[in-house]
Amino acid sequence: MLPFIDDILKYDSLSIVGLEKNTGKTECLKYVLNRLPVDSRRIAVTSIGIDGETVDQVTRTQKPEITLPQGMYFATSEAHYKLRRLVSELVDVSDENTSLGRVVTARALTTGKVLLSGPPSAAGLKRWMGQMRRLGVDLTVVDGALSRMSSASPAVSRSMILATGAAFSPNVDTLVSKTAFVVQLINLPLAGENLRAAFDTLDRGTWWLDDEGALHRLSTTTSLAPSIKLDEMKGCRAIFVAGALVDSFVEKLQAGKVARDIEIVVRDFTKIFITPQRLRLLLKAGARLTVLQKSKLLAVTVNPTSPGGFTLDSAAVCHRLAETIGLPVYDLLKAS
Amino acid sequence: MQLKNVIDSPCALRAMLDSLDLQSTMARRRLLEMEMLTDAHDIGRSYDTLRHFARFLATAHHTRVTTLQFKLQALKDIGTTLNNLDRHAVLDDIELFEVKHLALLAGDVNEILREHGLEQVVPVPSLDEVVTILDPDGLKIASFYIYDSYCGRLKELRAEMRRQPERNDELLLEASEIERTVRADLSKRLQSFAAALAQALTALAHIDIYLAKATQMTQLGLCFPTISRDGTSRFEGMFHPRVKAALEAGGRSFQPIDITYGLKPTLITGANMGGKTVVLKTLTLCQYLFQFGFGIPAASAAMDIKSHIFFCIGDEQSVEKGLSSFAAEMKNIDAVIKASRHERKLLALIDEPARTTNPTEGTALVAALLKVLAHASMSLILTTHYDIEPGEARCLRVKGFENGTMNYSLVEVHDGEVPHEALNIAQSLDIDPQWIALARDIVNSTTTKRNIHH
Repeated sequence: MLPFIDDILKYDSLSIVGLEKNTGKTECLKYVLNRLPVDSRRIAVTSIGIDGETVDQVTRTQKPEITLPQGMYFATSEAHYKLRRLVSELVDVSDENTSLGRVVTARALTTGKVLLSGPPSAAGLKRWMGQMRRLGVDLTVVDGALSRMSSASPAVSRSMILATGAAFSPNVDTLVSKTAFVVQLINLPLAGENLRAAFDTLDRGTWWLDDEGALHRLSTTTSLAPSIKLDEMKGCRAIFVAGALVDSFVEKLQAGKVARDIEIVVRDFTKIFITPQRLRLLLKAGARLTVLQKSKLLAVTVNPTSPGGFTLDSAAVCHRLAETIGLPVYDLLKAS
Repeated sequence: MQLKNVIDSPCALRAMLDSLDLQSTMARRRLLEMEMLTDAHDIGRSYDTLRHFARFLATAHHTRVTTLQFKLQALKDIGTTLNNLDRHAVLDDIELFEVKHLALLAGDVNEILREHGLEQVVPVPSLDEVVTILDPDGLKIASFYIYDSYCGRLKELRAEMRRQPERNDELLLEASEIERTVRADLSKRLQSFAAALAQALTALAHIDIYLAKATQMTQLGLCFPTISRDGTSRFEGMFHPRVKAALEAGGRSFQPIDITYGLKPTLITGANMGGKTVVLKTLTLCQYLFQFGFGIPAASAAMDIKSHIFFCIGDEQSVEKGLSSFAAEMKNIDAVIKASRHERKLLALIDEPARTTNPTEGTALVAALLKVLAHASMSLILTTHYDIEPGEARCLRVKGFENGTMNYSLVEVHDGEVPHEALNIAQSLDIDPQWIALARDIVNSTTTKRNIHH
């Protein structure tokens, strides 16, 4: 058994995040679910639902069916619950509505397959995790989407496994550097307690804090808007971007000399859409980039095979990646 | 008129709703859909029930209160499921789970109510038989599936699935046929309980609402009103909870107000910043709270029941719709006049009518409004800065500045003449002295001119 299974049990929640389709996220989920001690712990699994119109195309056809061991709890939508291929006992019906009905939670009484489609929003996911704790569940496992299509961020969980692979990039150098960049983002430090308290309840807009601790809303509607009135920001020591953090915004801050030793805060790493170059320049200038919410990255898994059939040298990729990011890297197909 | 139609009244009714510690979203929805009570019997009964819950809060051990609140958090609106049951549909597993969940919850809540002699106050029908049907093994756990004990063959099939997972699909197919029959049978047996289940659902929402209202009364220091039968409303120590909280947050205190009004118009005059608008806001708030069965923010209150409540205050929303503030105000007051012609038991509270126009016409409009509404046997309370001949109206005046501080209490006076304190108040606000001094000169010269004229 790979050591990270023991690590997972140190946390009460885990999300498994794929960097691209076919990077082996589902393999990783299956691998983890099959090895968790269902007999001694209460474990619940769900998948981040996908909002809106894409559900019909994406969810009905592309959501994988997962085989669950007897005794495991799972959350899915009403429509998918009815399609389950196992015997299960309902334990919770939530108010969380998805286009496939409400999210329900049940315990598997036999081993069998289910389609997972859980809460579609970060708030819903948080509520579900809370409800599971109330029901005595020790660990929640989330099949996390990493995409702009979903508003639910996997960063609500305490720990995380990242799945990468040839599908993300067929070139070893690119694969290593692109993966290392995401790892860097996942490992960004938490903002200080004061900043977290100041920004935590803001769910939209761009805000800044002056050196006396007063909060101001930046008079642009989104950080994408080109007109930032930098001269308004006298004494700015920290900026919070509730939406996506993009290059053009950071560029403006730096050009306006605001970003020298400023702290830029985002909700979590999934909100960051800046390039590695921009991040490097930003940090070099003395600025800090921090998050309100972070997960402990436990391991990175690699699927060396791309959907086109192209296969990278698994051992070389794992080794290079582990060296670059300083974390254990596994090829699950080899491991199992 | 439902609570949700008036919730955004500028009297800050929504803040009262938001400060209610409701446990379930269903209770909140039911409360918003509540019709305004206009019948003395209904209002009386509602407060009697609330009194029982207030006593429960005061006497029960706090762990029982928190247990009840915790239980009510699990209340879900399963109206759709109960409708399905009522029209003899076969319920699916999720719906059967919901029914069982409600039945167990009703049992738990009933137990706490019985302990405190509240079982007759808001009766929750017993659903023990429903629990028996959906809990064949007597586990009393809020979970559900088509249990093995419903059918011997089902038990065998499931045991087989565990032994031979490779035959899963085939065994599941046979099991699902059996499950279908069991569901149909369960649904049939549950049909006769549809009405009791619906009643329990409503009762549980009501318990949540009463408990929250009673808690709010203690938190905000609200009182139980009495119902006035003589058309008069009397308040002692009335306050606006939100304004009070805002003042207290700033280290200041709210000066409670005593006020009585009946079926004759009441004219409130007084200095700027004397709290006239707050008085109207509070009276409006109290009337809504009364007719939706909440505690009243006052030391004591005897209140007359009204059929319609009008609160006319500078209305931002109409302005946003493109009406000028004057036009918006005229339309609002017009609605009061129209209603007064065919409705009885109106309460209209009008803040500084015609204040945005010239004083000559403004004064005429207000004086005429008093005349038009004087005989409508309604309660009309209006504030103004204009000198109005009161006619039959009662006149109340804010005491105003005394020794450099504002005394917000209302005193009855016998003329409508308005106090001239605006310049003193402006001075106390540190407004540009040159401006104020000039204004004072102009006032003095016009007064002298007028005197010479006379």
